[in-house]
Amino acid sequence: MAFVEFTDVCKTYQMGDVEVHAVHGMSFTIEEGELVVIVGPSGAGKTTLLNMLGGMDAATSGTIILDGCEVSALGEAELTRYRRHDIGFVFQFYNLVQNLTALENVELANQICEDPLPADKTLEQVGLKDRMDNFPAQLSGGEQQRVAIARALAKNPKLLLCDEPTGALDYQTGKQILTLLQDTCRTFGRTVAIVTHNLAFTRIADRVIHVREGRATQIEANAHPVSASTLEW
Amino acid sequence: MSARRRGASAFTKTVVRGIGGSLGRFLAIVGIVALGCGFFAGLQMCGPAMRDAADELYDGTYLYDLRVVSTLGFGESDIGRVREVEGVEEVMPSISADVMAHMGSEQLALRISSFDVEAAQKSEAKGQSVVDADDNRYMNRLFLREGSWPNGPQECVVSADDQGLGVGVGDTVEILHGASDSADLLRERTLRIVGTVSSSVYPYTGSYGSTTLGSGSIGMYACVGEEAFDEDTPYTELFVRVRGAQDLKGASDAYEQTVGAVRERLEAYEGELSQMRFDDVRAEAQKELAEGKAEYAKEEAKAKRELADAQKELDEAVQELKRGRKELEDGQVSYDEGKQELEASKAKLADARETLDASRAKLAQGHKEMDDGEASWQAGKRELLAGIGLGPNASLAEARSQLESQRAELLSGREQLEAGIAQAKAGVEQAQGAAVQLEAGIASLDEQIAILPEGPQRDELVAQREALSAQLVEVRARIDEGQAAIGQLEQQLAALPSTDKLDQALGGIAQLESTRSKLDSGAAELAAGERELAAGEREYKDGVEQIERGQAELDAAADELERGRAELADGEAAYEDGLKELEKGRAEADEKLADARKELAEAQKKIDELEPPDIYVLDRTQNEGIATHEADSRRIDSIATVFPLMFFLVAALVALTTMTRMVADDRIEIGTYKALGYSKARIASKYLCYAGAAAAAGAILGIVALSQVLPMVVVSSYGIIYTIPMHPLPLPIDIPIALMSGGVGVAVTLLATYTAVLASLREVPATLMLPRAPAAGKRIFLERMKPLWQRLSFSWKVTCRNLFRYKRRLAMTVVGISGCTALLLVGFGLHDAIWDIIDCQYGPIVRYNTTVGLKDGVSQSDADEVVHTLETVGNAHDIECVQTKNMQARGDDRSAELLRVVVVVPQSDESLAHVLRLRNRQSGEDVSVGDDAVVLTEKISLKYGLSVGDTVVLYDQDDIGNAVGEGYPLTVTGIAENYVGNTVYVGRNAWKTVSQDPPVFSTAFATLPEDPQLRDRVAGVLHDNEDVLTVVFSDETIETYRNMLSVVDLVVVVLIVSAGLLAFIVLYNLTNINIEERVREIASLKVLGFTRREVHAYLYREIVLLVLMGDLLGMVLGTYLETFVVTTAEVDYVMFGRTIHPVSYIYGFAITLIFMAIILLVMRRKLDKVNMVESLKSVD
Repeated sequence: MAFVEFTDVCKTYQMGDVEVHAVHGMSFTIEEGELVVIVGPSGAGKTTLLNMLGGMDAATSGTIILDGCEVSALGEAELTRYRRHDIGFVFQFYNLVQNLTALENVELANQICEDPLPADKTLEQVGLKDRMDNFPAQLSGGEQQRVAIARALAKNPKLLLCDEPTGALDYQTGKQILTLLQDTCRTFGRTVAIVTHNLAFTRIADRVIHVREGRATQIEANAHPVSASTLEW
Repeated sequence: MSARRRGASAFTKTVVRGIGGSLGRFLAIVGIVALGCGFFAGLQMCGPAMRDAADELYDGTYLYDLRVVSTLGFGESDIGRVREVEGVEEVMPSISADVMAHMGSEQLALRISSFDVEAAQKSEAKGQSVVDADDNRYMNRLFLREGSWPNGPQECVVSADDQGLGVGVGDTVEILHGASDSADLLRERTLRIVGTVSSSVYPYTGSYGSTTLGSGSIGMYACVGEEAFDEDTPYTELFVRVRGAQDLKGASDAYEQTVGAVRERLEAYEGELSQMRFDDVRAEAQKELAEGKAEYAKEEAKAKRELADAQKELDEAVQELKRGRKELEDGQVSYDEGKQELEASKAKLADARETLDASRAKLAQGHKEMDDGEASWQAGKRELLAGIGLGPNASLAEARSQLESQRAELLSGREQLEAGIAQAKAGVEQAQGAAVQLEAGIASLDEQIAILPEGPQRDELVAQREALSAQLVEVRARIDEGQAAIGQLEQQLAALPSTDKLDQALGGIAQLESTRSKLDSGAAELAAGERELAAGEREYKDGVEQIERGQAELDAAADELERGRAELADGEAAYEDGLKELEKGRAEADEKLADARKELAEAQKKIDELEPPDIYVLDRTQNEGIATHEADSRRIDSIATVFPLMFFLVAALVALTTMTRMVADDRIEIGTYKALGYSKARIASKYLCYAGAAAAAGAILGIVALSQVLPMVVVSSYGIIYTIPMHPLPLPIDIPIALMSGGVGVAVTLLATYTAVLASLREVPATLMLPRAPAAGKRIFLERMKPLWQRLSFSWKVTCRNLFRYKRRLAMTVVGISGCTALLLVGFGLHDAIWDIIDCQYGPIVRYNTTVGLKDGVSQSDADEVVHTLETVGNAHDIECVQTKNMQARGDDRSAELLRVVVVVPQSDESLAHVLRLRNRQSGEDVSVGDDAVVLTEKISLKYGLSVGDTVVLYDQDDIGNAVGEGYPLTVTGIAENYVGNTVYVGRNAWKTVSQDPPVFSTAFATLPEDPQLRDRVAGVLHDNEDVLTVVFSDETIETYRNMLSVVDLVVVVLIVSAGLLAFIVLYNLTNINIEERVREIASLKVLGFTRREVHAYLYREIVLLVLMGDLLGMVLGTYLETFVVTTAEVDYVMFGRTIHPVSYIYGFAITLIFMAIILLVMRRKLDKVNMVESLKSVD
């Protein structure tokens, strides 16, 4: 059985009188330890997919399974536990708590988990050893995203979900972040899913899921992913 | 032009939509501005509302504007004189007297005033504030609440507020005595209550004014017709209404000017008026004096005549007495003589008696001897007769003849016998000779027979002999026979009685016969003695009778003498009495005449000394009730300025934070407008319009609502102690106050808004189009304490940093919440302060519960008797007698206003301490009232800023309560905690400074057990005691106070509600802003897997901390605010409790937290609604 299994998942929003099918019969699988890139244009259902996988939103129908656990069947409180222990989330806009230092932002996640990684080690791992005591406003965008990644990693999650992790960053910094994510997957064998509209990122993935109009139109395995540091777009 | 209009309308649309889009924010501003403006306007209108209600009543009842009193009263002519003064519309005269009266179970000071009963009967009450009457001269119109108007001198009406006396229609009022002789002015000593009234002269039920009687305050008022007073009683006061004053608002400047002008005119006229009154009174008095003098002359002559008559009578009595004495002496002499004579006779008679008694004894002896002789004679006779065998009745002669015959017989018998014997004896002697021969022949034959041997010779002989012996035996038998016969004869002879006996008997008879004759002669002799004795007895008896007669005569004489003597003594005593009486009569007459002379002289002197009266013109401010009401309304005015200040400050802060947030939200929009070329003012106007609309709506809402609610609450609360009716709803809104209040509210909000917008408007459009750089995290000082900081969880760290990051919100919350707590604390503290007046005064300080007032000149022994009654009947354990005196006091500063005080001089410091605990509130040390002590109660010291060592000046006061004299300066030695009334405790030595007279301890404070029956008994016994004027049990007083103080509860409720509103608005706004601003953060936390509870805690922790800070600050703020309110609201007569009870702090603190908890619970739903998807959105 695959690590992550999406089987015929639908998500329908009721917008007034209109039903919007954001995700419409989506099915795919992800194996443990893979770096997956979910790619598609705006409005293809990437975010909805991410929400459901991240336990932020429930599917209307279909099943979602992570590591043998049927996420689509969880209740509100169980979803909270799921987010808390199984998922690490990296936001496009980092979403750091402004009033906490880098270290404290990591600890924030750290403190609610059962089996967290040491916050300082994690920060060291993302290359922010010297900036631990700085507030977000004192860090560059890339550094902030590193903190966010460290925060997600420190939870020791089963799955690291990244929503346009480079979206708010310049090219160089974006590349560094991608490298970091790839290293995380390669070095620590952590399953990483990156949601992006940038097709260039597919080259670094072990598996690429193309999403279009609410469906996974194409799922391809990449036998030879390139290193993110060599990536250009 | 049209484009412009369209633009404007589009712009307006954004404003309107803005409101719709952020209703919470809008309502927060509306709410806080409504509270601020409403409170300001409402409280500001409370005072005017009270004054308006009072003015309506005063105008409606034609209450006097000025009251003129004179120390000599007024006559009819004075009324006309006053009426002619310019500006005086009407004058109404009245007689008023303060008396002590017995009403219900209490004795109290009663003010009795006359009024125009006729006019009152024709009057008609319209509503609660107006009494219609045709007669404009009828002033101070009364509302008849129950019963009927008085009719006749024995009827009265009293206040409808019975002051807890429990008296009403049908009860009676007993007049006991008055100030000086005011009670004598009344015709009747008992008045019947026929109705109850409300009078606008006495609007304050807490006190009907002060008096010199009793406890110093008037406990009840009664209104009577003029006929209840003696005919020639002068009017004591003239009530004056000023032309035009009725149309002006009472206590307004215009009113005061109008009335003041007339007052000045009257005061200017005082001298003339006084002189005229003086002339009137003196002429009247002089006339009376002349009459008095004539009367005196008449009386003097009469007395002298009467005395002379009495003297003459006495002189005559002396002569008569002398005569009587002489007669008595003569009588005594003759009596003594008679008595002597009688004594002599008595002695003689006694001798006779003795002789008689001796004779009688002798006679008795004789009789006895006779009887004995007779008896022995009879016995002898009987024996004799018996001896000779005669019956006892045989005579002696018979006996003699018998005896003699017997003797003869006997003698013959004897001779026969003796002859027989002699014959017998001769036979025997012959036989005896023959026997002897025979014996001799036998003896000789025996001898022969003995010698001859046996043979026939001898046999012969023996036969012979035998023959002889047989002969002998025969002889011998003859002898024995003879001898036996002799014996027999001799026996017969011997048996023959001798003649001795007969002789003896005969002798006895002879003796008896001689004795008989002797006895017979003795009897005769005795009889003669008897006769003699009887004659002697008779003679003696006569003597006794004679003496008895003499004695009786003598006794009668003695009695007569005794009577005479007693009569004389009586006569003498009567004379003595008469003499004494005469002396007394003379002395009395002298004294009376002297008194009369003195009186006349005094009257003359009085007339000579008579000075023109002092005339006082008093306005309404000198009426205690009216003045108190106005002062209370002014007090509200001053409180009214403080509370709203806080609300306005919070309103400004709420507007500032809200609008800051709004502007921040609209950053890009502002940038866009700017880029589109809108002017700063135009852009700002959007926010100003928004805030202005909210503020205006709030102002209108708040003012309309609270300008009704607050004055209603306040006026109706005061309605408990004032008889002034409330203006019917809706209350008029004071437009200037409303405009000012609304203006301030809107202006403050706009100012805050403008401040918030200004910062953003300064930025160039380009920067505005970019998302605002998030405020940088900052380190706070707490982080320097590493060990502590590292222990904090991230959420505490965030909380701590956030607290100091949003300073405006911190200010708003802390100020708002502290305001809320402060309001609560003021509410509860006010409640404490007011209830403490009673709770701290009665029990902790005043330990006695019974006050007994004695007559002024009471002697020590009479006072002791009352104390004894209290101890025995009342079981009182602690009693202290003191002197009390109503005086006035002030500090050394002679320009300061005077304060009415009671000066108490205790008999002993020690026992005073048992009934009153005097101690310093700050130091907690007991204050002693030693001989030199001058102890002030705390309120006096606070009012004049006096402390130990300072000088307090005491003033005497006259009957109408004006201070007189230069005052007596005393040095303060102590300050004692006290809440009700103002008292100066003065030691005996210190009292000498005030008065040369030693203090009279005529008031007793006592502690009685709480047994109503016992108290009734004590009251009964004491009321019967003539020395007792008043008996007051303070428990009843306390009950009355408690009723009055329930006013406070309503105020507390108002304060709690306002505090709740304040807390709600502030916390709602704070939470709202916090959530809106941190939506991303909240969403991110949710995505990170924070539970609902953790998210609530994350956000609420900082709100709770802010609230706690505000709450604590509110404790401090509230303490000061409460002190301000308490000292402002306090009146001279009482001191409010100065400490807020710990439990009130707890309530204030806790209720604020409860408000917070409610709001946080409500806001939780909004927090839960925050969608996690927000975290994915870009920063806009």
